[in-house]
Amino acid sequence: MTSRSVTIRNQLGMHARAAARFVHTASAFASQVWVTRGEKVMDGKSILGILLLAAGQGALLTISADGLDERAAVEALAALVDSGFGEMSCNG
Amino acid sequence: MQRLSGIGVSPGIAIGRAVLLRQHPLVVRFPVKAGRVDDEVARLERARRLSEEQLREIRAHVARGARELEHLFDAQILMLQDPMLLSRAIEVVRREHVNAEWALQRAFELLSEIFDEIADPYLRERRGDIADVVGRLRMNLGYGRAAGRDLFRDVEDGSLLVADELTPSMAAQVDWTKFGGFASDTGSRTYHTAILARSLHVPAIVGLSEASAQVRPGSLVVIDGSAGELLIEPTDEEIEGVRARAERWARAQRSREQYRSMPAVTLDGVAISIQANVELPDDLLVAQEYGADGVGLYRSEFLLATIPPDALNEDVQFEAYRSMVERMAPAPVAVRTFDVDEEQLASWPRGLEWETTASAARSRGPLGLRAIRLSLARRDMFRTQLRAVLRAARHGRVRLIFPFVSGIEELREAKVVLKEAADELAGRGEPVPQVPVGVMLEIPSAAVTTDLFAREVDFLSIGTNDLIQYSLAVDRTDARVSRLYEPLHPAVLRTLRLIVHAAARHGTPVSLCGEMASDPVLLPLLVGLGLREFSMSPSAIPVAKQVIRQVRADTMARVARAVLRMATVAEIERFLLASLGDAAPQPSDDGPPPEPQPAKGAP
Repeated sequence: MTSRSVTIRNQLGMHARAAARFVHTASAFASQVWVTRGEKVMDGKSILGILLLAAGQGALLTISADGLDERAAVEALAALVDSGFGEMSCNG
Repeated sequence: MQRLSGIGVSPGIAIGRAVLLRQHPLVVRFPVKAGRVDDEVARLERARRLSEEQLREIRAHVARGARELEHLFDAQILMLQDPMLLSRAIEVVRREHVNAEWALQRAFELLSEIFDEIADPYLRERRGDIADVVGRLRMNLGYGRAAGRDLFRDVEDGSLLVADELTPSMAAQVDWTKFGGFASDTGSRTYHTAILARSLHVPAIVGLSEASAQVRPGSLVVIDGSAGELLIEPTDEEIEGVRARAERWARAQRSREQYRSMPAVTLDGVAISIQANVELPDDLLVAQEYGADGVGLYRSEFLLATIPPDALNEDVQFEAYRSMVERMAPAPVAVRTFDVDEEQLASWPRGLEWETTASAARSRGPLGLRAIRLSLARRDMFRTQLRAVLRAARHGRVRLIFPFVSGIEELREAKVVLKEAADELAGRGEPVPQVPVGVMLEIPSAAVTTDLFAREVDFLSIGTNDLIQYSLAVDRTDARVSRLYEPLHPAVLRTLRLIVHAAARHGTPVSLCGEMASDPVLLPLLVGLGLREFSMSPSAIPVAKQVIRQVRADTMARVARAVLRMATVAEIERFLLASLGDAAPQPSDDGPPPEPQPAKGAP
């Protein structure tokens, strides 16, 4: 099993769009994925589970994966969280 | 007759027969024999399949202008597949031997309880999305005829929809050509469905508490979206009064429509140019219909929402720009070069997500490698875009805007690349037209050095959304500080004055694009500050023209001078509203009715 700790950076936290991206990404891997926040452990491929972590900005999460591609899965998901879910500016 | 009061969210008056939609029937629990358990599970699976098909179809056909709804349906599709919802309901069926509806309700209640404990109000509201999904599943558990467009196929035209709740996914499936209005028990002004109603010009009332329980299907009702009132089975006399009011409202509406084709000229004869902000080529139709004087801002990065970066070669871009330029000719089109960051370029093929990310995160974001910074770091990509723009300029009037410029060096560097692109075209033996070049003033460092830019560009464009948030250091998507995002902040107004003065000294034209221009209260003040050219979302154009035609530029210049001496937003706002009250001509009987001014921020 591979694990990594990450901090939620984007302002809105793990809202619906961010959670959807997380689940999309997690589902691309064969490994089982869990996300832990405090005592709550949720299935990383469940959008409801991710939403229920209620992870706002600054929340500390642990992403774990178990399976053949566990390392790639954890890296991809951690990168997604670190990037603030790509919520970049694009404006006029 | 009965009269119910709610919140009018979309103005207008409609009279018609009620069609009832109830998504929240009483759910009964009944035992299922052991041999029938698999049948109940199969019903749940079937409902999941039908719901997913419907949601995919809805997502693909979401009404234009409601594109932000797409990500919502993306999340709903994931919820359908989520182990915490349907898998749990299936468990309940197998364990307790109960009907599918009850099991689904149990799974929903368990989830709701956890959601209700969430402190973050935004995340807590996601419970509404689950309710929407569960409502759809429940509907699809019904027998055959179930959901979707079929639901209202046999409805008489001009019917009025009365619902306990009209969720976004249901609203997107309703054939609005058949309905003259809607009323619902729940909802608020900012509810997605309310926004949809306004964009469709359908009268609507929400927050009626128990309308769906009081109205009998087929009975005559009146939806007065202007007054926020629902009349149930009115008397003949009352209907007559309503008809007269509806008539007056329609007349006033027609007079508003007339403004579309009228020039935007103030009472003292100052001509104002009102142009359109365009994201997708189809926005042009709306811009033309609403009488835009040109495209003041074409957000070219929206090409990436439908075409992957690899495929977005010179010819593809050229075709996109050319068709827009030709359709708009002889009016000009200002093409803003890509305002994206690296991730948005890399995130293909998740095109849908790119788009929602881009629009939702429009005013946020780290101050990183984006816009002109990214273009300058990726010269090939930049030159390709510039060649395509230059080629399109042979087919009409094109202007070029560089976004997110922070200093004069970036402008000079961008012009060097533009020269390279022109040379490449010339090297191919193609004619190279001259294209006016401008920058977006949206970073405070650029705004305060407007005079330096004014010497080296052909025109300037103010992007108020970013300019305000970077001037005030406020993330307006952060609910805890968003009230500090204030277009009337003295710093914002002084920055605008500084820009206008510096541009005027050098004789450089300056236009303003951003939401500030489409606010009927702020627009006259902007005219008073000396701005004469605006670009806004196409749908805001008729109202903007109406506003311009009702004010005097010289009066507004005096108002602006007074406002620039004031210290607080509250003071400025009070003064502005009071002076607009005096300045606006009184409407005649045939003219527009006294509209409640959208007094933003005022109690």
